[in-house]
Amino acid sequence: MKQSPDMARLEQVLRSGRIVRGGFLGTDRRPLAEIIEADRAAVTRRGLTCERIAGRMAELTAAAMGRLGTWVDAGGGLQVRAEEHKGLIVCPWPHPARCRKRITTARRSETGQALQWTDLSIHLIGKHAFFQGRESAFRMEPDALIDFLGLTGEATAEDAGIWPTPKR
Amino acid sequence: MAQAVLAVLAISGVAAMLALILVVAERFIARYGSCTIDINQGTRQITIEGGKSLLNVLTEEKLFIPSACGGRGTCGYCKVTIREGGGPILPTETPFLTADEQEQGLRLSCQVKVRNDLVIKIPEELLSVREYTAVCEKIEDLTYDMKRFILRLQEPDRIDYVPGQYVQLLCPPYPGSDEEVYRAYSIASDPAETGRVDLIIRRVPNGICTTWCFEHLQEGQTVRINGPYGEFRLSDNPAPALFIAGGSGMAPFVSILHQMEHAHDTRSVRYFYGGNQVRDLCLLDEMKRFEEHLEDFTFVPVVAEPGPEESWDGRRGLVTEAVSEEFDNLADYEAYLCGSPGMIDAAIKVLKSLGIDKARVYYDKFA
Repeated sequence: MKQSPDMARLEQVLRSGRIVRGGFLGTDRRPLAEIIEADRAAVTRRGLTCERIAGRMAELTAAAMGRLGTWVDAGGGLQVRAEEHKGLIVCPWPHPARCRKRITTARRSETGQALQWTDLSIHLIGKHAFFQGRESAFRMEPDALIDFLGLTGEATAEDAGIWPTPKR
Repeated sequence: MAQAVLAVLAISGVAAMLALILVVAERFIARYGSCTIDINQGTRQITIEGGKSLLNVLTEEKLFIPSACGGRGTCGYCKVTIREGGGPILPTETPFLTADEQEQGLRLSCQVKVRNDLVIKIPEELLSVREYTAVCEKIEDLTYDMKRFILRLQEPDRIDYVPGQYVQLLCPPYPGSDEEVYRAYSIASDPAETGRVDLIIRRVPNGICTTWCFEHLQEGQTVRINGPYGEFRLSDNPAPALFIAGGSGMAPFVSILHQMEHAHDTRSVRYFYGGNQVRDLCLLDEMKRFEEHLEDFTFVPVVAEPGPEESWDGRRGLVTEAVSEEFDNLADYEAYLCGSPGMIDAAIKVLKSLGIDKARVYYDKFA
């Protein structure tokens, strides 16, 4: 996928430490468009959409907010806990989205396997199909995340709006 | 083939020429000349060369408008009222301005370019904001993720503030963070010690400024702060007060309690301070000392879930639950809150259910 000049500028912001220390791309040297496309494709292969994944993450965060700072049973074998810090963090995309500085930890009761995400992670996945770069602080591998959340696919690639419908 | 190459060259040439014209125009034609900015109806007038953002101009003139994003138009904090000369509101501003604010002439100062004379209004208290250099005299561990930074002011060497107010700390570029950023922290020191500013800072995972404070800032190092800012403060009302805080939300209350001690304030205060575990609580000894020295002050630490190795015989549960258990009716009370936005939202909900007047709930959630 060819990267537009706007995407290249955005990539510069994401690689810099202007919004989070160390940036959003970690050690990932792939162009931003390629990172997004690869992760989108992984989501599509599972018959899901980024919006649906982000929606489930947001539900779990909302459940954790019922008792901020403590473990909450979220059902489906998952426990969640949210921690908040003062202040807001801005979305690096050129639009005025701001998120609370909140980290949700989710763990599977049976295995103890845990994942962490921020409110900004939810926004980036849901709105921009951006799961962050490899080895960045909050990178989420789409397949691992989908498995962890226990989501099963229904949507097709076409539903996800990722590949245009071929004209027949 | 040759035609295609020629076409590409021709287009590139035209594009390069246009770019050159733009650069020349910006440099030699788009000069705005000398511009005057009238601040607060003649309280102050500054004359500058036009072309910079209003926020930058004001900062250069040592008029500090709070801004968390360094002027990139993403935080929406740097609002000022422009009475004349601001031009139309830009699309980059509208998401941050309500219809009322737009009606009143509020603008994001980082987005307004000074091209002509301006008449502006900024909150009076910002006129007294100053920039200070200070030496980080001491760094104390308060918990596993909170430290107290004791700053000794150098130039100017004293600060006047109202307990409850905050300062902005300048975080310089360092490996992993490319630009200067400012972050707001409540002052946690005794206001009688005018040459000292204490900050209680909790580490934010991957946070730019807190990482710098925890990993790079050393005792003896010079730092820059500006302030004071904020409306959070103890009222003059003698009504009984409830303080509710979590984590580094302790900071403004330390300063307020010092103020009460100096004033021999007899006001009744119950302070509920919450932590997830015992290890999250700080300054318990200092709070005990305030209990001994203030006439009617009670400190109530609350732990949500003591860790398996932790011994705790104090209150358990969320800090908001402890408040609900303790009171049936708070109609006569004032409440002061400091902590994360979620904690403050939860506290407001509980306080409203206990009959407190919303106008008597004061908070600073930095969000």
